[in-house]
Amino acid sequence: MESLKDKAAIVGVGYTPQGKVPGRTSLSFHLEAARNAISDAGLKIQDIDGLLIQPAMGDPSVTAALVAQYLGVRVRFLSALDAFGASAGCQAQFAAMAVAHGLANYVLCTYGENARSGVSEYGAALNGGLEYGLFGPAACYAIAARRAMHEFGTGPETWKEIAVAQRRWANLNPRASMYTRPMTYQDYYDARILVEPFRLFDICQISDSGRAFIVTTAERARGLKKRPVYIMGMGQDHPATNPQQATFLTGPTGAKLSGEQALKMAGITLKDIGACEIYDCFTYTVEVELMDYGFYGRGEGKDFLKAGRLGPGGDFPLNTSGGLLSEAYQMGFTPLTEAVVQLRGEAGDRQLGAPTRTREPEVILVSNNGGVMQTHSTLILRK
Amino acid sequence: MTSYTKPLPIINDDNRQYWGYCKQHELRMQQCNNCGYIRFPPGILCPRCHSMDASWVKLSGRGKIYSFVVYRVSYHPSYADDIPYTVAVIQLAEGPRMESNITGIKVEDLKVDTPVEVCFDDVTDEVSLPKFKAVS
Repeated sequence: MESLKDKAAIVGVGYTPQGKVPGRTSLSFHLEAARNAISDAGLKIQDIDGLLIQPAMGDPSVTAALVAQYLGVRVRFLSALDAFGASAGCQAQFAAMAVAHGLANYVLCTYGENARSGVSEYGAALNGGLEYGLFGPAACYAIAARRAMHEFGTGPETWKEIAVAQRRWANLNPRASMYTRPMTYQDYYDARILVEPFRLFDICQISDSGRAFIVTTAERARGLKKRPVYIMGMGQDHPATNPQQATFLTGPTGAKLSGEQALKMAGITLKDIGACEIYDCFTYTVEVELMDYGFYGRGEGKDFLKAGRLGPGGDFPLNTSGGLLSEAYQMGFTPLTEAVVQLRGEAGDRQLGAPTRTREPEVILVSNNGGVMQTHSTLILRK
Repeated sequence: MTSYTKPLPIINDDNRQYWGYCKQHELRMQQCNNCGYIRFPPGILCPRCHSMDASWVKLSGRGKIYSFVVYRVSYHPSYADDIPYTVAVIQLAEGPRMESNITGIKVEDLKVDTPVEVCFDDVTDEVSLPKFKAVS
């Protein structure tokens, strides 16, 4: 069986206004992001012959066929693909398979949601528990984080490093919701506790916005407007288990198996990874994912994760757009699109390399995590 | 008891029996008659062996806190007067874990591994919630 290594590339990314953007439907964010991705790739509307959407979590009215209808595209490869926050990475994998086998030439992948202004109970009942007052994903992850405090002694001392480093990246990214708002360690500690053990800055802020990307074959990619970003390796692992019974709250999450598969396909090791775009719905999520990818041993996050290393000028650049915590919560699209922008050299003030006194990456690891660590996808992207 | 304003469990054809036993102040879960695995939440088949043959076994109601969170802000108007309150995952003696609330202990004194025992809260005429109190 032929490997999918380097067979497909991401050739367009599309953004929309993000943060608090009232007065817009979820559908409108899908459409604007799609339009901008098509334009970014230098394609015509008629070129799009595949469409995958991630359904809006709080708005079931947005279907794949509806997005196709409003975009005015007639496609031969269509689906809504829902693996929670892992969906973008999964979409890229399905799209790579489709173009590699000639089922489509250009697969457009979209997400959009008026999650901040339009949905009142966003993600409230992901796994049940409302009858006990278990509201919102933050509490579900806080349960995992508390268990990790018990098992390997992590806690706010470690998580603050992630939050502060990512904020420093966001302060270099005009698109980030926290662009103009610096954060010190003291700010982190002074923030109110929402659901112990999480403070405000351990938790990402949901956003009204959309995002999209386009996948085509490596061959087609070379003739397009922008420098292609090749998909070197890919993997998924979905532990799925209800978080009450989960054995993975303190790892190994799906990052472990999906990461091993992706690295093996790419034929590289962790040493070849120049930067990491890690799904960071909460600070603790980053700690456990990086641990499961193998960057450090069990419970060693407190020694490895230092803001000086993770931020601009550091030797382990992490979530360089500001991530979900400080750029915008766009599910798995946030880390994926940032990796593309960085590998193209289009990241402006936050560009990895000379502008931020960091190593210029050839390869970026993209992680997507969803549910309460119930789904996971990994991509290895390269120039 | 008609004044209860908090969200109630969503009762469906998979979990109706579970809540029926709770109403009788019994904590029962499905034990697979093929492999012995006790599963939760309730469902039609065993996630270990896919047998659809199960018995509702009565559990001791004893366990310990596996993990917990403390809400310092209200995420729902019906819980506004309860702040701070805790939601815990209980490791039951027989193996399964479940989410619930812990009563009879100050949130400051909560710890992972604290022993707990089930007690039932008759929140409406139809619904009794299994909750847990700390025991020494």
